[in-house]
Amino acid sequence: MSVNLPSRRSALALLGAATAGTTLAACSDASAPGKTQTAGANKAGDKGTVNIYTWPDYFSSKSLKTFTKKTGISPNISTYDSSDTVFTKLNSPAGAGFDIVVPSSGWIQPLADKGLLAEIDRDKVDLSSLDPSLLDREYDPGNKYSIPKDWGMLGIVYNPDAVRHPIRTWQDFLDAGSQKGVSGKVRMSSSAWETIGISLWIDGKNWNTVGAAAIKDAAKRIKAFAPHVKTFEGFDPATLANGSVVLAQCNQAAARTAIAQNPKLKWVIPGPRSELWVDSYALPKKSHNPDAAYKFLNYELTPSVQLHETEFLGYPAALKGLRRKMPKSVKNSDLIFGGKHVDFDKLTTFVVNKKTIGVYQQQQTEIQAAAGK
Amino acid sequence: MSRPTAPRRRGDHVLAGIPVAWLVVFFLAPLGFTVVYSFGVSTFGGVRLGFSFDNYRTALSGIYLKTFLATARYAVISCVLCIAAALPVAYFIARRAGRHKTLALAIVLIPYLTSFLVRVMSWQILLARGGAAEHLLNALGLHAGPLDVLDTRTAVYIGTVYAYLPIAIVPIYVVLDRVPAELFEASHDLGGSRLKTFVHVTLPMSRPGIATAVLLTAVPMLGELVIPQLLGGGKGLFMGQAISSQYLKSQNYALGSAMAVLVLAAVTAIVAILARLTKGFDEVGG
Repeated sequence: MSVNLPSRRSALALLGAATAGTTLAACSDASAPGKTQTAGANKAGDKGTVNIYTWPDYFSSKSLKTFTKKTGISPNISTYDSSDTVFTKLNSPAGAGFDIVVPSSGWIQPLADKGLLAEIDRDKVDLSSLDPSLLDREYDPGNKYSIPKDWGMLGIVYNPDAVRHPIRTWQDFLDAGSQKGVSGKVRMSSSAWETIGISLWIDGKNWNTVGAAAIKDAAKRIKAFAPHVKTFEGFDPATLANGSVVLAQCNQAAARTAIAQNPKLKWVIPGPRSELWVDSYALPKKSHNPDAAYKFLNYELTPSVQLHETEFLGYPAALKGLRRKMPKSVKNSDLIFGGKHVDFDKLTTFVVNKKTIGVYQQQQTEIQAAAGK
Repeated sequence: MSRPTAPRRRGDHVLAGIPVAWLVVFFLAPLGFTVVYSFGVSTFGGVRLGFSFDNYRTALSGIYLKTFLATARYAVISCVLCIAAALPVAYFIARRAGRHKTLALAIVLIPYLTSFLVRVMSWQILLARGGAAEHLLNALGLHAGPLDVLDTRTAVYIGTVYAYLPIAIVPIYVVLDRVPAELFEASHDLGGSRLKTFVHVTLPMSRPGIATAVLLTAVPMLGELVIPQLLGGGKGLFMGQAISSQYLKSQNYALGSAMAVLVLAAVTAIVAILARLTKGFDEVGG
């Protein structure tokens, strides 16, 4: 996932009301199995526990309880607030003892290259029930190291009262954002590739293969646009409801939350390309209890659990045909999947590349600095 | 040690050794790593040890130098605003609050005991469109229509001054509280106006308190990470963010370490200057 914590958190918390009567407490239910603890995995190696390192509130406590009932294994959850933290932690001595991690698609390859992930044993877990458009993608060919948990895409939510012309492309987004009545009320992502990426797509470039010069060049366009940006911080649906933001980059689940508060808003995935991110299960090499990890994966991949987790999170799990299985009671459920017609061939996944990530980050710093002038 | 001392018992050494060991393990050792890393060469998520000044050259050039200067500027402005706000409050509590001193101090300190994050987030709610600040300013006729102060530099300064105010008030209050009332009376008796008394008595007397307040506010402000994000929309340049991004996002531990060492050097300089400023200050009262 490539948005920062507040946006995911608030999206989840706000969706809580809309998700099948699940109310999400801001902090985990400490009495549930799967108690949150921020220190490293404790009781590592204890066969009765599985140590999971994940985003906050990323598994419903109901499914965790059911898992314990079925297997006698209690999930022990530690949380992080950004994908980069996962890499840093697993790459340090403190990262030993986790059995399952849930990094975003972009970090799978650098983690695997560092030798921090174990290959997935296909004899122990079956992926045939998952949506093929989420498998074998550029960030992990053949799903050697990762299994999709849930996914999202980068799009735009906008208020048609202020943004007069319908938005179809990223160029439209930049044009609209610099107009009177919209300028100064734009939210952009704090993730370097989600801002510079739109400029690369406008020029028909691939964000995973460009070199430093092309990244800097693409960032120029965004630096010029930066003074129109109000905030780079977490997406807050309330700002779209009260009109202090009228045009925002966000993912489909966040957009759904905003539209629930202000039905006038429109959601679009602009062309020519946009981002697909897939938060994925991966198995750390230094796991003490891989058997329990596979048991947990198999449990989580069962259709009823996939359906329940989707309602709980507001982000779509990876099950094939999940959309048709959504109960009628879930409001605006199409939006969970990004809308009625999403062309997965037009979506691309960013892969963190050690040669260019520093350049991307530095350019993002300069973009955010240009906005502060 | 020229003075003869009583022979120490071994237990004393052990007792004294505990905090020393603590400091070495949890402070000096990590600091040592940071310094060593800062001269190395970054490999994604690791450091090849060596001895080069390249990281320092990078950290002192281009966007990184700009970040450093912008952060220093932010810390200086916030610190000045904070002290300016703290002085009258501290003076009031020390000299005018009478028997309500404890209550006044409690009012200042109780908010400080709640989570830092919650206190900053609450400003988001207050400053948001349609929030309390907008209603208040509209009612007072100071502002018309929707208020868009959130995600601006102004909001960052408001939040910063608010967050650090209690730790600026307390040291100044402690010093002013110890100044004997006779001093102020004497100044008045000798024909000093209120302003003159303030300039020639209060201000010099509160110097060590102000120095301490500067230290306690300016140093964390140099590393401030949360307030610019939550109230400033993540715009502008802040050192704390830049360093964390080197470590976490770019996985460039070597450059991150060099930047951290430079900030540490700046902090050391501030501490040294403040120590000089308060040197020779004799305890008054007694």
